[in-house]
Amino acid sequence: MNGAYDVGMPGERRADAAVLGREALAYADTLYNLARYLTRSPTDAEDLVQETYARALSAVHQFTPGTNLKAWLFRILRNTFLSQYRHERHNPTVGGLDTVVAITPGAESTQWLRGDLELDRLRKVVGEEIERALASLSEEARTVILLDLEGLTEVEVAQVVGCAVGTVKSRLSRARAALREKLRDYSK
Amino acid sequence: MTCDEVRELLLDAQRGRLPADQRGALESHQASCEACAHEAVAESLLSEALESRLPQHAAPVALKRRLAAAWPGVPAAEPAPRWWASWRRVLVPALAMGALLLVAAPLYYQRAGGSGAPMVTEAVNDHLRLLSSQHPLDIESGGMHQVKPWFEGRLDFAPVVRFLGDDDFPLQGGAVGYYLDRKAAVFVFHRRLHAVTLLVFRAEGLPWPRRGLERIGGVTAQVTTSRGFNAIVWREGELGYALVSDVDLPELVRLVGRLAATS
Repeated sequence: MNGAYDVGMPGERRADAAVLGREALAYADTLYNLARYLTRSPTDAEDLVQETYARALSAVHQFTPGTNLKAWLFRILRNTFLSQYRHERHNPTVGGLDTVVAITPGAESTQWLRGDLELDRLRKVVGEEIERALASLSEEARTVILLDLEGLTEVEVAQVVGCAVGTVKSRLSRARAALREKLRDYSK
Repeated sequence: MTCDEVRELLLDAQRGRLPADQRGALESHQASCEACAHEAVAESLLSEALESRLPQHAAPVALKRRLAAAWPGVPAAEPAPRWWASWRRVLVPALAMGALLLVAAPLYYQRAGGSGAPMVTEAVNDHLRLLSSQHPLDIESGGMHQVKPWFEGRLDFAPVVRFLGDDDFPLQGGAVGYYLDRKAAVFVFHRRLHAVTLLVFRAEGLPWPRRGLERIGGVTAQVTTSRGFNAIVWREGELGYALVSDVDLPELVRLVGRLAATS
């Protein structure tokens, strides 16, 4: 027996799984990166990625060849995180995006935004500050920002987070607005 | 097109995903709406920051090995890829040379004595960034006694600048900036209509100049000209100082004399 997850797997399925496995392992870095930002812990991120691959292997027969393997893995990872880690571990930022007040025209902050202070701040912001600001956002906001950064389309992001395609655009817009608010706070 | 509609489309516009008619409507809205034009620039800067500065975490090798070992049919220890076998004769010496440079370059700067050129270039760049910014200062001056306390909690060091400004060189204000790989306290003085930028930063680990040094006031400084700007850099204890302006060099030297005499 070659793998730890393949108990009782028939020969043909095992061959398919091996092909998919090689492809899937190529995404280990991107999955781990998302896991790091979701769990905020290297150890938890490793556990989450390992669990994601275990679940992916047991669901290999559900994967449709020709569809987006990366998005499929992201979905498993996020569902695993939601079902397992978020409830088991202390997580101070569990609110959804609806708790985030988006920057809208006419809001109190608009006057401040009209200057170029925020633009200067965005030009100067360093990686550590972006990481900290991102980590302080809700899980939903972090996820849509990171999936968008990974180059997933709105359709693929919708599949990962399980919402309508039209909702992704507004969620992403609000998540980025919230991130800018956090970055702006560092300049005060 | 309303402001709300425009803002939902900004990312699509940034990524070239808008049809021509929508793009036209968006651009004409931005031309007449200052707030939406600002939003477009801010969104673009946020994308740039996320794409180029957000740290990316790679999976540990041990984790990758465990994943491969657990998946049926995937070799637990992947053999070296075929391209490696054919390229290693070229790449190994190249990587060795790269590693040598990584070690040798800092040694060159720190032991053999660098020219200080990177420090002057960065100081001039910082000065230019301030000049091109519409709001270069985080705090407008009411005097050094207001500016210096403002830095508390914003820097990982206390900038030591005892020259308070005078009629010749009034202090205009301060800001937090970045100098090479570290934060810096930025003070802006004025000489008639010219801005003079003083950067104060942690001195440790920088390629300090060892050549062309001269005594000014109580410090040993390097005086240079770069891209038409006069620049003077010096070190006092744990702090480094860089002064940049297009004022005449004797006047800049005079300011260093005041800063050094009192610091």
